[in-house]
Amino acid sequence: MSTLRLLGVGWYFQFKMILRSPFDGIGNVLYPLFFATTALFVFRAGQSPRTLVYASLGAAVMGMWSSVSTSAGSAMQRERWWGTLELLVAAPRHFSLVMLPATLGLATVGIYNLAATLLWGHFVFGIPLTITHPLLFALSVVGTVLAFGGLGLLFAVSFVRFRAAWVLGNFFEYPVWLVCGFLVPLALLPGWVRPISWVLAPTWGMSAIRESALGGTPLPDLLLCLGLGAAYVALGVLVTDRVLYDARGRGTLSLT
Amino acid sequence: MAAIEAHELCRTYKTHTGTFRRRTKEVEAVRGVSFTIEPGELFGLLGPNGAGKTTTIKMLITLLIPTAGSARVLGLDVVKDAREVRKRIGYVFGGERGVYERLSGYDNLRYFAELYGVPPKLQKPRIEELLELVGLKGREHERAEGYSRGMKQRLHVARGLLHDPEVLFLDEPTIGLDPVGARELRSTIASLTAAGKTILLTTHYMFEADALCDRIAVISKGSIVAEGTPADLKRGVGQGSVLEVEVYGVDEETIEQVRRLGGVLAVSVEEREQAQVLVVQTQAEVELTSAILGHLNGGQVGRISQREPTLEDAYVALVTEE
Amino acid sequence: MIVAARIFVVGGLTSFRALFYWLTPWIYVPTMLVAPIFQILLFAYIGRSAGLESDEFYLIGNALQYAAIPCLFAMAQMVGGERYQNTLSAILVSPAPRIPLFFGRSLPVLLNGAFVAAFSLLVGALVLGVHLPASSLAPLGLVVLIAAFSCTGLGLVNAAASLRIRENAVLSNVIFGFLLIFTGANVPLDDLPSWISTAAQGMPFTHAIKAARELAAGASLGDVRGLLGAELLVGAIYGVAGYSLLRWFEVLSRRYATLERS
Repeated sequence: MSTLRLLGVGWYFQFKMILRSPFDGIGNVLYPLFFATTALFVFRAGQSPRTLVYASLGAAVMGMWSSVSTSAGSAMQRERWWGTLELLVAAPRHFSLVMLPATLGLATVGIYNLAATLLWGHFVFGIPLTITHPLLFALSVVGTVLAFGGLGLLFAVSFVRFRAAWVLGNFFEYPVWLVCGFLVPLALLPGWVRPISWVLAPTWGMSAIRESALGGTPLPDLLLCLGLGAAYVALGVLVTDRVLYDARGRGTLSLT
Repeated sequence: MAAIEAHELCRTYKTHTGTFRRRTKEVEAVRGVSFTIEPGELFGLLGPNGAGKTTTIKMLITLLIPTAGSARVLGLDVVKDAREVRKRIGYVFGGERGVYERLSGYDNLRYFAELYGVPPKLQKPRIEELLELVGLKGREHERAEGYSRGMKQRLHVARGLLHDPEVLFLDEPTIGLDPVGARELRSTIASLTAAGKTILLTTHYMFEADALCDRIAVISKGSIVAEGTPADLKRGVGQGSVLEVEVYGVDEETIEQVRRLGGVLAVSVEEREQAQVLVVQTQAEVELTSAILGHLNGGQVGRISQREPTLEDAYVALVTEE
Repeated sequence: MIVAARIFVVGGLTSFRALFYWLTPWIYVPTMLVAPIFQILLFAYIGRSAGLESDEFYLIGNALQYAAIPCLFAMAQMVGGERYQNTLSAILVSPAPRIPLFFGRSLPVLLNGAFVAAFSLLVGALVLGVHLPASSLAPLGLVVLIAAFSCTGLGLVNAAASLRIRENAVLSNVIFGFLLIFTGANVPLDDLPSWISTAAQGMPFTHAIKAARELAAGASLGDVRGLLGAELLVGAIYGVAGYSLLRWFEVLSRRYATLERS
């Protein structure tokens, strides 16, 4: 109970801070939007309205992912700059419970990216905004946010150990866009990529969102997405212990 | 049971240089520090910058693992029982970092109250009470980015007290504060001891340690060089005398020559407006004025004065000893 | 003359090292060498799934366009970074001639940008199995250099802007995004709205990408000299504009003391 409360309160304050720093977020919204626009131009040249709807949903989830991948590392770096990282570690609650709300907050901002991209596709490219199962769609989006938050946690705590890693946010952006089937059907990718796609929750979150929007069966995908998200959190907790013990041994917590 | 026990604490840092051919250098920040602090005591760890004060504190508050030695806080081992230690201690450091600038002071406190597991019902009254104590009442709903340095510092103190810890670690809490702000903060600290808290305070201001602490340990280059009440420490150099000579430009070599004179305990140079002052601590019975002036020949010499040693001199003597 | 040459070369290199101390191989390799490959793959696969252009089309477009990352970010950092370290005023009070000072800073940026583009082109070709005719490699190298030149020119404008805009990383990203769409890197100019393809004529990469595609298709250097001339002209115009802006901001900041505001 108190754990849930901690997550809720933490999420509230993290989200509040993100909303109060609009400039940090502008890049996160704009950057994927340029890629979305380029991709939509490509698909429009292909002349199939069905693919355009498919692509606009994919581009929208691309934006969601960007807000997590580019910010999870810098969120950790910011705590270092602010000098609050040590305070968070010195608190008696498990550090992963402190960081998870932060990455969930970033993933929540992704909902904005999702909506912005869908609207952009609608107004600029005239792509219809049809969502067949609104409730399931909403659930799929929330499930995807949770899983992204879990994956972000795994990133963020790894970045405690690899200090330079915060710069690499963009580096994790493209591969996930590519291998999780946002714009390219998985069947088109080489066979050996398939297992990588399967263990990445964004693949299933994307699929659930698409199925619920286009009128399929999103539930199995959604459950897989949530399951993987939970696994990331569990792994994140283990990694946290390891990484923090290591950082206390090496004396790297206060370094910026 | 002692509140804090440090036994032969050591800490080395490895630093790396170079990218491809990495060279590793070991820096010994703390070399065998031991002390015991009783419940309710205000203990000062005094030393110049880089002496190892912060490293020692960070080992005690579980942020660093000692490379050797051990420490207990309220009987709990700082490495093995880190979680339990964290629940019972508060940590406050000086400076402007460590605050979420985009949140209000109140929100900062609420966030940390949650992290320290303060029961939801108690959070509100507790925060109100602390805002009152540190004098932030009325400004608590403004964003912390607009706070002055002193206000941020007081916010730190309130944060450190949220969970009503038995033991409080204050790492140079008055650093960079203006004299009025520093004095207010010192009176807050004094009121905390009156409330029965055990406090470990680090500072490099001699007078601060003198005014607040029950006992002081002087740390220099990673080792404790003296320990006792402020009165004990003063007595250590009490028999000597201090000679101050105004000089205009004095080189290392001359200082070294003066240091080697028989009867000289310590030599330091203070910058004062246009001049420098050569402060020479000597044993009481020797008269060295002419010998010192002899070594300064050639250079211009201003006012010369002799005085009784202060605690400051005791400190300088301790930390400049070879 | 020799002083100018020294400021150009030594000053440029030293400032590059001073401002990119954090650019270790751990950061350089993923952001400058691996990321462009993924960008190439992403669009090549998007192209495949939309059943459009060949892999070669996306390989050339994205390899060249990715040079914008080093050129834009590095140039902004060369000037904006000085401001954060409060060393800019020390440089500006020096009597050093300004033209070699600022252009000297561009040279390492240009070379690095060309290297990134050439690397992406070759490795991307290997990964996608695109065959580039051996005879086209040397001319392609020249195109890469010219593309990096023109984008470094734009980088100088971006650098000037970094003196006035705090969030320069956002601006650099936005410029990168526009170049991604406008220059025909991924969509043939004819398929874009006409105002975009018109605007593209004044942007770096547009002509270089077109020239590179023609070279890969077997054209000779002589066939594309018009395109290369246009690309050089675009770069030169940006370079002069960027330099003038820098000088103008230098004057303004002396008048309004905006230099150290960070």
